[in-house]
Amino acid sequence: MRTVPSAINVKKCVFPVLLIAALSPRIAAAALGEPETSVQTEMARLHASIAVSEHANYRLHELHLTSGTVVREFAGSDGKVFAVAWSGPAVPNLREILGQYFDSYVTAAKAPHSGHHHLQIRQGDLVVQAGGHMRSFAGVAYLPQALPSGVSVGDLH
Amino acid sequence: MVGMAVLGVQARAWRFGVYAALCLPLLSCGGDSGGAGVSSTGSGGSTPAGANVVDIVVDAGPTSTSPDVNTLFTTVTVCVPGTTTCQTIDHIQVDTASYGLRILAPVLTLSLPVQATASGSSLLECTQFVDGYSWGPIALADVRISGESASAVAVQVIGDPKFTTVPTNCSSIGPAEDTVAAFGANGILGVGVFAQDCGSGCATTVDNGSYYECTSALCQATTVLLASQVQNPVTLFGTDNNGVVIQLPSVAAQGAATVQGFLIFGIDTQTNNKSGNQTVLTVNPGDGDFTTVFNGQPALTQSFLDTGSNGLYFNDTGLAQCTQSNLTMFYCPSSPQTLSAVLQGQNAMSATVNFTVDNAETLGASDPSFVAFPTLAGTYPTANTFDWGLPFYYGRTVYTAIENTMTAVGTGPYVAF
Repeated sequence: MRTVPSAINVKKCVFPVLLIAALSPRIAAAALGEPETSVQTEMARLHASIAVSEHANYRLHELHLTSGTVVREFAGSDGKVFAVAWSGPAVPNLREILGQYFDSYVTAAKAPHSGHHHLQIRQGDLVVQAGGHMRSFAGVAYLPQALPSGVSVGDLH
Repeated sequence: MVGMAVLGVQARAWRFGVYAALCLPLLSCGGDSGGAGVSSTGSGGSTPAGANVVDIVVDAGPTSTSPDVNTLFTTVTVCVPGTTTCQTIDHIQVDTASYGLRILAPVLTLSLPVQATASGSSLLECTQFVDGYSWGPIALADVRISGESASAVAVQVIGDPKFTTVPTNCSSIGPAEDTVAAFGANGILGVGVFAQDCGSGCATTVDNGSYYECTSALCQATTVLLASQVQNPVTLFGTDNNGVVIQLPSVAAQGAATVQGFLIFGIDTQTNNKSGNQTVLTVNPGDGDFTTVFNGQPALTQSFLDTGSNGLYFNDTGLAQCTQSNLTMFYCPSSPQTLSAVLQGQNAMSATVNFTVDNAETLGASDPSFVAFPTLAGTYPTANTFDWGLPFYYGRTVYTAIENTMTAVGTGPYVAF
């Protein structure tokens, strides 16, 4: 039986993250709208493992977070992330995932809408659709203008 | 146009003054008895009574200036553990898609003891909702609802001014919902299929997104034993602790100003909560979801019953969406549309449900005091879900059996109707 206090476990988890972040200077934290190379930084910040797959019109980075939530980042041929999607028991760190779009997301999410279990935002060049309930959350954020031809919103999950 | 404001449902549209601007002049000019409104009571059958029954109501909410639609409330008493120092709080939202009791700090006059972690820090929670988070300590309270009681229940106090430093990982999921105005209720009573709000994930994973241990200087993510997580208080009642029955009357198509029904604790524990011939749909033991088959779409495997959703939310490209700017996620068919879906449990049992969708922009046109609408429906943001919100419950008796508990017709987690 391990008797290590949880606080030490926390430090164990955090240390390699800080290390990787330190070795990756000045890479933008944002995924959405950013070069897909930032996904690597994000993976570290989010304590995630990653799988990458090639699709006809995009490259998919799939991040498995320790919370059990899966984040999928869609990058086009220009190497930029045009959509991010998530599903799982916890809402992921949207500040990291939405990057430069997070502040406008928060502003829009404060606007009048119905209930705590769904959210639809269209603000400027950002669309966010999210839903779910305690223990089960899902959502997608994308940049409609950046959607590669041949990719539909229905593909983004 | 009244309907637009009423449906600016959007509770918060009203809070931002849309309601006052559009509805009040009509109220004062209408000359009818709109304020008296239409109310619906009972459920067709006998009125349940007993120590395990509490009234529930759909009304305009805790502040008259911020009416929500299709929002179900009850009244809960909380006490400092082991004392007779108690407070009764009305307009606690009844939510079958969350678990545990949460109270907004501004309405709480008691000082409830905050749970300490093994290291002596305070235990706090970042409760995640789709549209934001609620931050506050986990406190202990004796909880009384009607004649039922539970001692030293872990509850959350949302927006406690003693704990204002929100960890970045918490505030990084969206806006704060830490006030009555932002929350739309004085608190929320989660009486869904689970015994704890988070479950085993938070007992084993540090970065669970929910729980933190905090000193005055620092908060860090932490695991929490199941017994210390926010508890569905029903599971801690001495009796009638295996689930709940929610009974609401039918609501007229044009709507109602109030709807009164009953929340009955226990299933097959008293004469007033016996299982009948309802269909039992067992749900996913991890997330509480089941499958809906609708309109030829791929199986909607993340479907759920939810008194905390104010409409039926699903995707149907055959239904016209509203065009008014704050209602575009709702449906606005030119005439009422009757549709049908099949709900399937993990036990392969199924039930067909017929429902009607009407024009969200005209709901409430007959009376601006209306806040209950059985035909309110809108789009769902993701592809694999049918969210059966409060309109589903109108005119039904719905059973919610808690995980790992027995009833006469099966073991929870299940829903039945």
